[in-house]
Amino acid sequence: MQLKPIYYSERFLKIIFGLSLFIVLCMGGLAYRYIKKLSQSFDDVQLTYQIHIELEKLASLLKDAESGKRGFIISKDSTFLEPLLTSGAALDKSLERLRYLTADNPDQQENIKELEMKIDNSLAIFEKTLQLALTNKIDSPEFIAGFKEGRRTMNSVRFKIIQMTTHENNLLGIRKEKSSKRLSSAPVIVYYVLIISLVILLLIYIQISKNLKSLKEKNELLETFKESTTQSEMISQLGNWIWHIESDTFEFSDNLFRLLGEVPQSFEPTLHNFMSFVHPEDLDKFTEQMTKMMEQHDLPFTHYRIIRKNGQIRHFKSYGKILIDSEGYRKLLGTTADISDEIENYRLIEERNLELERNNKELASFNYVASHDLQEPLRKIQTFISRLEEKERDKLSNNGKLYIDRIKSSSGRMRSLIDDLLQFSRTNKSEESFEDANLNFLLETAKHDLAEIINDKRAVISSDKMPSMKVIPFQIKQLFLNLISNSLKYSRENVNPVIRITYSQTDASFLPKLRYSKFKSYHTITVQDNGIGFEQSYADQIFILFNRLHGKNEYSGTGIGLSICKKIVENHHGYITAQGELNQGSTFTVYIPVS
Amino acid sequence: MREDYTYVVLADDDEDDRSFFVEAFEELKIQTKVGIFKDGVTLMEALNLADTILPNILFLDLNMPKKSGLECLKEIKSNIRFKDIAIAIYSTSASEEDIENTFVLGANIYIKKPSSFNILKKILSNVVTMNWQYHTSGLNKDNFLLRF
Repeated sequence: MQLKPIYYSERFLKIIFGLSLFIVLCMGGLAYRYIKKLSQSFDDVQLTYQIHIELEKLASLLKDAESGKRGFIISKDSTFLEPLLTSGAALDKSLERLRYLTADNPDQQENIKELEMKIDNSLAIFEKTLQLALTNKIDSPEFIAGFKEGRRTMNSVRFKIIQMTTHENNLLGIRKEKSSKRLSSAPVIVYYVLIISLVILLLIYIQISKNLKSLKEKNELLETFKESTTQSEMISQLGNWIWHIESDTFEFSDNLFRLLGEVPQSFEPTLHNFMSFVHPEDLDKFTEQMTKMMEQHDLPFTHYRIIRKNGQIRHFKSYGKILIDSEGYRKLLGTTADISDEIENYRLIEERNLELERNNKELASFNYVASHDLQEPLRKIQTFISRLEEKERDKLSNNGKLYIDRIKSSSGRMRSLIDDLLQFSRTNKSEESFEDANLNFLLETAKHDLAEIINDKRAVISSDKMPSMKVIPFQIKQLFLNLISNSLKYSRENVNPVIRITYSQTDASFLPKLRYSKFKSYHTITVQDNGIGFEQSYADQIFILFNRLHGKNEYSGTGIGLSICKKIVENHHGYITAQGELNQGSTFTVYIPVS
Repeated sequence: MREDYTYVVLADDDEDDRSFFVEAFEELKIQTKVGIFKDGVTLMEALNLADTILPNILFLDLNMPKKSGLECLKEIKSNIRFKDIAIAIYSTSASEEDIENTFVLGANIYIKKPSSFNILKKILSNVVTMNWQYHTSGLNKDNFLLRF
């Protein structure tokens, strides 16, 4: 499986989430600071105004007192003096407040101290002039001097107040400038942060939706897989199970229930429940395997039988392998197969094999009977005839002699039948007897065996040079022997047999019977003679066991020789054909694959 | 005394074959003494007697009741006392299996019982007059089976 790029991983998502959380927090912090500064500058402005008001109040109090004093001096009406009575306390209160408001400003504190002194000074003069007024000494130079002094101090108080106000105004100006400088960049930062977090959010959204899409696709694929697994489980008689090692719980697939002959998920999937199906005779073995599985977390191939509720016995085979998932959880994935059919088939094959073996044994014992037990009485008959012929022939009548000859030829025929039959049954194929052989040499040995008849019949045998090939040598020699002796046997009277053996290679595509053969080309050996031939319509019959085209008395022969040829050629994965023309001759063609 | 004739022994359960064997030697007029045993058990009992005269050539039928020719062959070849006895297998069958087995066990020649009395005479005369030392030294599977 291909390794997923980093941005698909859950870790990446976590990082992105953490980053955006951090950015949002920063943004919140910045906004908080911004608002805090805003409210602070607002407080500063308010403070300045409060100081203004307080200073104004102070000034107006002094003015009130001044104007009250003047009113009283002019009108002598004591009601004008009322503000004077309260102004002292009010002034103190106002000064106190000013001190409080400018607590963080040492310049202003100094100013307030000066102001207080000036006010006290002015109030003292004020008091003096007022006393002079009360005693009606308004015209006295003392009063006028006091009055003038009062006016002077009053002006200095006013000047001080104006000075303080200006100072405060300057301060406000500086603060405003400072905070506006600081605050002007704040909204831009907040704006950018907002944009960046939006972009990140957007990216996360795209990524998540992409992941979701691929997740969905994968889920669909998984669903398809699950469905096809279910199908293949049913077709192949398989059941799957999972053992979650950590939690020691089992999961059984639907088909596993079906294999047990139960409705899917009809009981709790536990080992105990499963074991209730296991054949009592296999239970010990099964338990042992399960215990091993629990210890070693591995289940090698385990065979056992189960009994379905309806009493049916099935053969099971289980196998399990551990799987560690991405979370590190270990589970054992197991497969259980119902192999009853397999076992049943195997049993059938076994049975047939046994039957075949029995048949083969019977055949072998028949061979023995034929080769030994049948030959023994026959040999004795022949030996006794030879004794009779030799010792008692002269004592027999002509008829008696004729009968002896008939018995002799019959027993001779029986001997050749038995010999040929034995030859036929011994012509078996066994792969290990194949070896590289020189066919020219095999042909020569066959000719050597037939030397006597070849001489007697004055036969002429010519042959092409043949390559070596992988064959069963004694069988190929037998093939040549049988084909040549066949040609010699069925030679025309008064015509010397001429036998021509040729060799060539033929492409399989030229042979209709071998068009679909797995071999490309075939060794082709033909044995052609000038004998009595046969009608082409009998071409296939002559290879059938005991089949003869001529009477026993015309030509000796058992009808086995060509059957042996056919069997030999078939043992070599080839085939043999015959072409004949009556009184012209016959041609036998042998095809053996080129390996 | 022993130099004068060849002592041949046949172990065969078949009465006819035993009489063919005896008659053939009677007609052959070679200096032979013929001993006959009707199965493997009596043959081995006789051979194992301490004072018995050992045959020059022993003809062994393979298919005999109680003790087969193959068993007799094994016993004889495992006893050093019998090392000079030439052993001719004398059987109806000439199956590859029998020929192979007896050759491996150390028989000297394999004779397939003929179906003519004259041929039998010819074979027995050949075997008795055979130069055993020469035959045994050049022994191989091809000339093990006597052809006639």
